[in-house]
Amino acid sequence: MTTLELDGVHTYYGESHILQGLSLSVEEGEIVALVGRNGVGKTTTLRTALGLTPPREGTVRFDGTDVTGMEPHEIAARGMGWVPEERRVFSHLTVAENLRVAAHSAADSDARIAEAYELFPALDRFSDKEAGDLSGGQQQMLAIARGMVGDNDLLLVDEPSEGLAPQIVEDVVEALRAASADTTMVLVEQNFRLAMDLADRFYLVDHGVVVEEGETAGVTSEDERIRRYLTA
Amino acid sequence: MSLAPLAGAAAQAAPLVDPGTLLSTGGAVDGLQTAARVLAEGIGKAAVYFTIAVGLTLVFGLMGVLNFAHGAVAMVGAYLGGLVLVLFVGANTGTLATILVFFVALALVFAVTTAAGSAMEVALIRPIYDRTPTYQILLTFGVSLIIEEVARIVLTLRGIQPNPQWQAPMGTAPDVLLGRTELLGVGVRRLYLFEVAIGALVAVAVWAFLTKTLYGLYIRAGSEDTEMVQALGIDVRQAFTVVFGVGTGLAAVGGVLLMWDPIWGPSVLLSIDVLLYAFVVVIIGGLGSFTGTLVAAGIVGIADSVTTWLFTTGIVTFPGLSEVTIFLLLVVMLIIRPQGLYGVEEVGGH
Amino acid sequence: MAISDPDSGADADAPAGDTDAPAVETDAPVDEADPIPPSTATGGLREYLRDHAVHAAVIVGFVLYPLAYEALLATPAAPFAEAFLPAITFMVVVLYMGLFAMSFDFISGYTGYLSFGHAAFYGTGAYFVVLAANGQIPGVPGGTPFMITLLLGAVVAGLLALVIGSVSFRLTGVYFAMITLGFAQVIYELIRSWGYVSTNPTEGATVSGDALAIGVPFVDALSLDVGRLTGESVENLLGLGIDLSTTVVSYYALGIVVVVCYFAMQRILHSPFGRVMIAIRENEERARAVGYPTYRFKLAAFAISGFFGAIAGGVFAAYSRSVAPDGTFYFLVTADALITTIIGGFGTLAGPVFGTLFTQGLEDVLSTESGGVATLLREGLPESVLQADLFGISLELFVNTAVDGRAPLYLGIIFVLFVLFVPNGILGTLRDRLGGTVGKRLPDHLRRYLR
Repeated sequence: MTTLELDGVHTYYGESHILQGLSLSVEEGEIVALVGRNGVGKTTTLRTALGLTPPREGTVRFDGTDVTGMEPHEIAARGMGWVPEERRVFSHLTVAENLRVAAHSAADSDARIAEAYELFPALDRFSDKEAGDLSGGQQQMLAIARGMVGDNDLLLVDEPSEGLAPQIVEDVVEALRAASADTTMVLVEQNFRLAMDLADRFYLVDHGVVVEEGETAGVTSEDERIRRYLTA
Repeated sequence: MSLAPLAGAAAQAAPLVDPGTLLSTGGAVDGLQTAARVLAEGIGKAAVYFTIAVGLTLVFGLMGVLNFAHGAVAMVGAYLGGLVLVLFVGANTGTLATILVFFVALALVFAVTTAAGSAMEVALIRPIYDRTPTYQILLTFGVSLIIEEVARIVLTLRGIQPNPQWQAPMGTAPDVLLGRTELLGVGVRRLYLFEVAIGALVAVAVWAFLTKTLYGLYIRAGSEDTEMVQALGIDVRQAFTVVFGVGTGLAAVGGVLLMWDPIWGPSVLLSIDVLLYAFVVVIIGGLGSFTGTLVAAGIVGIADSVTTWLFTTGIVTFPGLSEVTIFLLLVVMLIIRPQGLYGVEEVGGH
Repeated sequence: MAISDPDSGADADAPAGDTDAPAVETDAPVDEADPIPPSTATGGLREYLRDHAVHAAVIVGFVLYPLAYEALLATPAAPFAEAFLPAITFMVVVLYMGLFAMSFDFISGYTGYLSFGHAAFYGTGAYFVVLAANGQIPGVPGGTPFMITLLLGAVVAGLLALVIGSVSFRLTGVYFAMITLGFAQVIYELIRSWGYVSTNPTEGATVSGDALAIGVPFVDALSLDVGRLTGESVENLLGLGIDLSTTVVSYYALGIVVVVCYFAMQRILHSPFGRVMIAIRENEERARAVGYPTYRFKLAAFAISGFFGAIAGGVFAAYSRSVAPDGTFYFLVTADALITTIIGGFGTLAGPVFGTLFTQGLEDVLSTESGGVATLLREGLPESVLQADLFGISLELFVNTAVDGRAPLYLGIIFVLFVLFVPNGILGTLRDRLGGTVGKRLPDHLRRYLR
């Protein structure tokens, strides 16, 4: 079954035309990577899916329902989670409170939070600490955990490795793998190798449209059809 | 538009300290006692400042709306609370019964104004969220003009002077509150103790709402990042409506508290007074910060009582000392730390 | 927070005209146009006149108004004219409050920084001329002509603006509004307790000497004394049989000052300097990125705005001959300017004047000072109707409480409606409709209809 489907979406920021008829689809259970240079519209694609920056044209379907034009909170409540760029944890809330806000709609919120703690022992240890006091890696774990406890069918993950030390990145990758066991995932990632490593399929985005797509197996950034879009 | 004079706090203040005691002041013990008394009165004033400001900071924190109608609502609260007391407290009403009526008034006024505030958010503010914050300031300011004038009309129709204070409800304050209590060897006005009690009650209630309820959690999270909260499936607009309602209700609760205070008392001028002082408190504390508002109210309250003391004892002969000091605190804070004591830097820039 | 401008930055030129200003039938639309430097003598002059046709029409309207008003009072329509047209006393307020609102709009509407403490400059101008007239300003002898003290006061206010601005312009948005409000409140509190001003500083101060004159200093023939009681009156003007009361003479004298200030500000807004101000409002980051020292530009604009705010305060003081803290330095004085600016058109220089005309017109209609709806109803309706009882309140009581002197209520309602539905104000909306500044577009539109 198709979890997420974007069909010919055009999205603008003010007057700038960011997505220019982008289409993609994500099947249930898979991890799909969006790759491409900075500023080609990867983050906007995620924001469009969630209704944060609604498209002027085109449709967004989630779990078979047309969600175009719905309020972000309505789309999110249907089971779409977001792990945004720069993490955006609530820094003056404790770790536990961050998770509680996210788990508000889940019937068994306590159980889900407990599950998240099991997966991320560091969060359990610091559950009473303010999220702003955590390290970058821990904040990223919290952002992922926040996306997981909401009982989501789809997780939109934006630049999870950004600004993290290589050692920490490995932990984050493990966390994402663990998360993907439960949900479908769309991943925006600068680190091409990492993206290919994690994802099943990829879409290469340039100037607001998909220019290349396929299975990730065996694909490297040296691939000519890919390299010309990734180098400036 | 009429130009209402600022009913400055100190200008109307009854002497806080009995001049008789002051003349005999001398020696270390007396000095200590004076300091203790000034401190105690500062805390009393702080409680008032906190109560009138906390709703303002709550609303700004979540919604980024600086509610210029805050003072007008407090003014309405003072009159509505006064009305309840005048209706139900007679010459023979006992102290306990009077205090009970006071709490009934508090609850009633809170309920009514919270509902009115929510309705105002839906009808007037919701349509203009997508505009710059200036328009929200303008809109709420316009609403405050209307509230003030309607208040004047209603009062005139009922034969009450809009200014100075409406004496009837002030007369319902039980005698017990008019005296002083010996506390650590210092005679402290009981009205101040009462105000501290109410201020503490409001603080605990707001704090519990923010930290112990799921709604409070949404509000705190939303104060940091509304978009992220939406992305977690929470209807932020509904939260805005509730918070604006509660903020309005808290403004009115502040008004009810001022009703018995001879420095303030119910008058239409309360509107602008409350607004300006509430601004000072929330900005010093940091717009949107509950803790900041609490601390800033303490600072402003003590600054107020110290400067009032300096003037009443004749150490400083400048009558506007208190007001000048309070507004200077605002200016100095904005110069050295614009985000306030506990504010987050980005807030207000948006 | 950059205040998004009414008419998107596309037309970066300044203010514009007006509509039929409410309640003033003689008033024609105004505008200012882009001052195109005259290239050839004749063509340039014609161009210039054409561009300023709307300006000229408005000025003529203002000039003729008192005469038309007086003439109407001699006709059977007098009760209605008294009730619905602003009396000259109100028109004088339109002039000085309009100028003050323009100075407020100059900084707030054009750079996007809300000057919530603008009353500080108005108050400085007003107090300076009063204290100077009473010989209380060191270095300024008692007899110094008003025009000189007016300018000195304005310079002082400009310097004050530099001081306040130097710390305030490090802040933006709500914080800028609050710090300027804070400064103004500090000054207000100081002034109302400062014994040097008078024995009762809360009540302010009064000019004790002769009338203050607007015109050329030291030349009596070219000066007009102002003030309702102390000003000049003219009998049989130029042998035309027209008498001008002291109020009307003051109105003209103040009018000259306002016109001069308007064109000065308009000139600045149309200069490269003004374009930077608008660039700051539209996108300060970008203005800085392309190399403008925005801080200095903002500071200079603020000083200019303070200067003209003080001129407004100064002419007000000369006319009323007394100043009080609550009528000059207080927050609500700024609020008045804010309200009229929004109604007239935020970011249009002439807008605030028409906003003030609107609000003063409303005030006049609803007050009984010079006739008004309340008077009209009381005198025009039969006693039985007035005493008719509705829910225990007679119509007369209702008129007395809900109509008479209730301008602030209706003004509040109108203001809220403007914020919600006409955010660009009268002039801004008109300009949007016409597709350009009124001065430029209106003649074309008229020509099309006339053809």
